[in-house]
Amino acid sequence: MTTVLDHPTSAPGNSAMKRPLIERLNVFTAFGLGIISAIVFWYLARTFLPENTEGSFIKTRLDAVTIIAMLGWFFGFMTGIGALIGPFRWLLGKDLDHDESMFYAGKDQGIKRYFRYTTDHKVVGIQYLVITIIIFFVGGTLAMLIRMNLGHAGGGWLQPQTYNAIVGTHGIVMIVGTIIMITGPFGNFIMPIMIGARDMAFPRLNALSFWLIVAAIPPMLSSFFFGGISTGWSAYAPLASQAPPGMDGYIMFIVIFAISTMVAGANITTTVVKMRAKGMTWNRTPIFIYGVVASVALALPVFPLFFLSQVMSAMDRAVGSTFYDVRGGGSGWLYENLFWIMGHPEVYVILIPAVAALMEMAPVFTRRPLFSFNTAIMGIAGISGLSILVWAHHMYVTGWAPLLNGPFMLTTELISIPTGMLFLVLIGTLWRGRLWMTMPTASIYALLWNFMIGGITGIYLSDVPVDGALHGSMFVTAHFHYTLMGAGLTGALASLVFWFPKMTGRMFDRRLSWIAFWLVQIGFNVAFIGMFLVGLAGQPRRVDAYAALFNQGNSVTTMAAYSIMAGMLVLLYGVISSWTNGAIAPMNPWFAKTLDWTVPNPVPLENFEVLPVVTSDPYGYGKAQS
Amino acid sequence: MSDLDVKKRPSIFKRKDVRLTGFLWVIFSVAIGYFAGEVQTRSMGAPASDTMATTINMMKVFTWVSAPIAGLVGALAATTLLSKLHFGDTPPEEADHEIRNSPRIVSGWIVVSAVLCLFAVVWGMVVLQKDDAALLNPKSMNVNVVGQQWVWNFDYVDNGKVRSSDLYLPVNKPVVFHVTSKDVIHSFWIVQMGIKIDANPGYLTETSVTPNKIGVFDVRCAELCGLLHAYMQTKVHVVSQADYDSWIQSQGGKI
Repeated sequence: MTTVLDHPTSAPGNSAMKRPLIERLNVFTAFGLGIISAIVFWYLARTFLPENTEGSFIKTRLDAVTIIAMLGWFFGFMTGIGALIGPFRWLLGKDLDHDESMFYAGKDQGIKRYFRYTTDHKVVGIQYLVITIIIFFVGGTLAMLIRMNLGHAGGGWLQPQTYNAIVGTHGIVMIVGTIIMITGPFGNFIMPIMIGARDMAFPRLNALSFWLIVAAIPPMLSSFFFGGISTGWSAYAPLASQAPPGMDGYIMFIVIFAISTMVAGANITTTVVKMRAKGMTWNRTPIFIYGVVASVALALPVFPLFFLSQVMSAMDRAVGSTFYDVRGGGSGWLYENLFWIMGHPEVYVILIPAVAALMEMAPVFTRRPLFSFNTAIMGIAGISGLSILVWAHHMYVTGWAPLLNGPFMLTTELISIPTGMLFLVLIGTLWRGRLWMTMPTASIYALLWNFMIGGITGIYLSDVPVDGALHGSMFVTAHFHYTLMGAGLTGALASLVFWFPKMTGRMFDRRLSWIAFWLVQIGFNVAFIGMFLVGLAGQPRRVDAYAALFNQGNSVTTMAAYSIMAGMLVLLYGVISSWTNGAIAPMNPWFAKTLDWTVPNPVPLENFEVLPVVTSDPYGYGKAQS
Repeated sequence: MSDLDVKKRPSIFKRKDVRLTGFLWVIFSVAIGYFAGEVQTRSMGAPASDTMATTINMMKVFTWVSAPIAGLVGALAATTLLSKLHFGDTPPEEADHEIRNSPRIVSGWIVVSAVLCLFAVVWGMVVLQKDDAALLNPKSMNVNVVGQQWVWNFDYVDNGKVRSSDLYLPVNKPVVFHVTSKDVIHSFWIVQMGIKIDANPGYLTETSVTPNKIGVFDVRCAELCGLLHAYMQTKVHVVSQADYDSWIQSQGGKI
């Protein structure tokens, strides 16, 4: 089929003599140009910005310089990667010609296409997978540092400033990692094939969303050299306003990441709405697609607020505005509202695709239809809808609006109804199935267990009087790890094993997947049940040292955390070894019925030679009864 | 006799897997309710106020109410795991049915979860209402709480100009805290009394409690407030009214 795409004029060797600009740009030119541009911007800002006003409480110069330098990095990086070539052509009234579009799609470039601004959704999916692994590696290392600090009796092994920076960075790194962990790799690689499309609706936006994330990471990591993100991932004002310039790294990171999420959200939503195969009506669309769309569609209205909250934070720091400064008429509550209006839907942005992915796997591994497809959709839609109305349950004890505590308690507890629907669908599918025990199958059980604990502890916390006792304690930390890690990450690891054969052409080593599963799940449950107990006993969150009363619980948690680390390292080893020399995967190793298993390995550039026509939903398992 | 009669399955409650599930459901529900309820309430320690006692009670009841749901999910999952499992590279044969939905089960599930949810909401509202009403109690004494990096200060405004960094309270007397901060957001938390309210710069927030036990309890900051957040803690001394009065006098205040 590739012959159809070959342009008649593209003679071999032609490009080698005079390589056009588009072929010379890659991740190395991007980093080079980014660094140069950051230095130039930094120098100009340093030279031309006025000194701080004597005696004023507003000191903006240092932050202004830092932010300008980071903007320089950002523009340099995006130029260097080639993101601006298309827009520039449009300004000139032209567009990329056929050869260039093919080059953009990564045709015949082997491994180099992964280091370029490549538009092919499969390349973007792999890029997302790798960056997710890197993000989890960084975040996991920071988590182990946190546990090492708290594993000492009484804590206090690290300096408080270092510890706070580690906690904040761990938080934001993991939040971003979990947001992209399913919709990034699997939403980009698998989703278009699953709906029978040749690519995403906007391939160049797809590449843009990925490279924006790469551009966002260095400013965030650089913060370690400028005082760190010492405010926790929530970065409440006015604590964030008095933080060192490391905070600017956080702000730039969020601003760029929010753009990336919005771009990806618009792209994925459009793709699913407009590009499903012929015959794939909404009730024949796989449930995983619903999960991905709900996730990104939920991010669309709320991430602009995250973006804005950080822009305002940057303005407070760099130009002396007082959005969040009570001395100038602002309010820290404004920040808290903006932050949590994004912050609560965001946990469902993480959770919904994970549950939906396991729902997609459940029929495959029980060899029977998904139980009550409509209930699954109701559950996903109900959670998405309600989740934008619950944000102030993070603010029960702030004193912002005590009269609203009741209404927000109502909306929050209502979420338990659609959440219960998701449980019903999973458990109903397992019931009377023929269990094919694989690591993804076990993950369904692990999700039920973990999510049950996360859910019930959520009911305690949603209750205003109980929250008065537990808010801000380790109990909360354990609760959201149970939902985001126990449920979310479990779904993502199962997705990795499940779709690994399609993405890499090789099977994931079965033994390693099981070892990793048990190490992670057992370690996880011991670690975080220990954390629940110290939280109940009154250990606050985000403390680097604690009373002797909490010694026991903390050392249990730390020991179990090593088990999680071991499991994740086994999994990482499994990814590398299986990817390089695992068993060659057949086209459909799980004998599943969705479209993604009907394309050969490796998946051809345009996925389908002939676009498929869908005549039924993909859950037609089970023997008909007479 | 037609084929249909031969293949007719036994009534649902006579099926082996259903009976197993029912049996496990009872065991799991009781076990979850008991252990989760006990472990949590024990970890929370002895309450030093009615607020905390109510909170502990609520957690216990929530646990018992959600135990049947968790127990049912657990029992169903355990039953499926106790059936024949298939390991290997090729799939097992297809399941012997293709049931896609059961409106009765789905609607029953939704109704039950809605009822439990409403129970939690209504009861929470009732308790919340009581806590809010306590703020307006005219017999309460008043204490101003000021958080700053990284200490607490307490002003006993009803007793003249008395300020302390350890909190002293008379037992069984309602107290309203008026909380604010000098720099960043802190959160004023009396652990054993189960109350917490943020200290915001530029704003006053309020919470109230009636300590009902003589003893020494913990105040901790529950909102990350910078470098020494972990060390921003102090003690509450709950004493008898007479001891409290003499302490106030020793600090130069009037009764």
